[in-house]
Amino acid sequence: MTADVSPAFEPHQLDEEEFLREVHSFSFWFEAVEGYLEGRPYGADPELADEPMDGDDRDRLITTLCNYCVGEVTALEASSGLVRLAPNHHSRIFLATQVADEARHVEVFLRRLDDLGVLDGEAEVRARANPRLEEFRQRVLEMVDRGDWEAAVFAQNVLLESMEDTVFRFHASIADPVTRQVLEGVIADERRHLGFGENDLGRRLARDPAGRERLAAIRAELDPLVLGSFDGVYRDLGLSRADQPSLGRDYLAAVERLGLTT
Amino acid sequence: MAETDFLAQYSIQRWLEMCPQGYLDETTYGHEPGLTEPEDLLANDDLREASIALTVQLIAGERAALAASSGLVNAAPDHASKAFLATQTLDEARHVEIFTRRLIDLGVKEEDVDSTVNDLANPNLVKFAEVLLEKVGNGDFIAGVVGQNIVLEGMAFSVFELLQATSKDLNPKFAQTLSGTIADERRHVGFGENRIGSLIREHPERKADIERMQAEMSYHMLATFTDVFRGSGPTMDRERQAAAAEGRDLGSAEWHGTDVMAASTEDIEALLAGTVINEFKTRLGRIGIEYQDPKVPA
Repeated sequence: MTADVSPAFEPHQLDEEEFLREVHSFSFWFEAVEGYLEGRPYGADPELADEPMDGDDRDRLITTLCNYCVGEVTALEASSGLVRLAPNHHSRIFLATQVADEARHVEVFLRRLDDLGVLDGEAEVRARANPRLEEFRQRVLEMVDRGDWEAAVFAQNVLLESMEDTVFRFHASIADPVTRQVLEGVIADERRHLGFGENDLGRRLARDPAGRERLAAIRAELDPLVLGSFDGVYRDLGLSRADQPSLGRDYLAAVERLGLTT
Repeated sequence: MAETDFLAQYSIQRWLEMCPQGYLDETTYGHEPGLTEPEDLLANDDLREASIALTVQLIAGERAALAASSGLVNAAPDHASKAFLATQTLDEARHVEIFTRRLIDLGVKEEDVDSTVNDLANPNLVKFAEVLLEKVGNGDFIAGVVGQNIVLEGMAFSVFELLQATSKDLNPKFAQTLSGTIADERRHVGFGENRIGSLIREHPERKADIERMQAEMSYHMLATFTDVFRGSGPTMDRERQAAAAEGRDLGSAEWHGTDVMAASTEDIEALLAGTVINEFKTRLGRIGIEYQDPKVPA
């Protein structure tokens, strides 16, 4: 696949319509993912050896990865449902690329579970799913089912992606080498998804500033579920209270920075 | 092959290797960079408008496929099926994108794309899509996959093959664009046949409903063919007469034993309809569904 990625090419110099067409195209997506997925089937270099891991560490990593799968399945189901709600051609194409990204994330995490000796990954995910995350999933899918584009994009492409970006980046900093590589590829995708949500909602709020109040209300409903799920992350990663990073604060700051609710 | 091994062939990783890193490598909008629509097509309003009308039908079909494949992700019973449908969603989005690009290359302004599609999409093709999307909207995975991956994709596969045969010499850009979509459709049809066969065996009570859907979709498909060939026939005849008068050779293109560059539009329509229906019979038979003849379109 070839997109216009010559050194002189700068998408931000395009007018708005051309910019959206370019950055939401299949070619642009493929040029983006090809860079960090090439040579990494299932998200990691096949030559990279797994480090020895004791039973407790392995078990905690399995629980962590199972909950990453819950988040990614949520994103897969929500993004596929959003395709039909997309207000224009560019958004539809972008969401189709996101559907494939999210399915790839589930696939690489399930493959990692397989590497760790889990025989039935999907059953293990169901057994170890954090109830807060499950509740978050239900809420997001309800928004999609009732056709609420703004709410669903906000919940999925802003809140869920910000949560994942915060957790994955922290985990990548302390993870074993194979898990780290897998996470790096996922993080790169999440940034693109977050950018779409920020861009789409930002344009809408510029036309309808009153929408901020509505998004703030959704955030007030969902933030406790996100923050509650972080407690599970600390436990799953085996962090003592003293070692616990301020993921919750980082997440809140990341959402705040986008300025969509204030 | 065990079902788990079969499903592994439809993973995202395998798709990345086969499709964007495989037959789409070094292409732009599905064709070699630099290729354009033929000058004589762009200069001939009659031909250009006929090409726009045809491309609109392709976009309408692909939009339906995109809505159906994305809508089926949530209804899929396992991750492997969800993963395949995710790749199919992206394939269909790519098809929408490349045919939309063709519409623009044919002179439709970008801001007029949606209105052009709405104005020119064949009403029977729209109904064909509605029958399918009703099943998808109800979360009916089995009927949705049969309707999408066997009926819709089976139809698209043969239509694209026919168009590719007639474009190979006259319009390499369009022919190359179609090559990639044909490769995609082949994969989609393969998934439909393989995945649904086992589900139909588990749920034989679903057969009657699925056969009704197939008959209804087939009816609208045949009516679409009739409308499209009736509409394009005069243009095709005029082009052939003009080529003969100017001593231009339009060449030949054999498809299923017929030279479609020389055949009448009625013969091509009958050939296409017969080919698609034979494919339906074969593929539906493989999953335990008996092909149902639709009512004959008026």
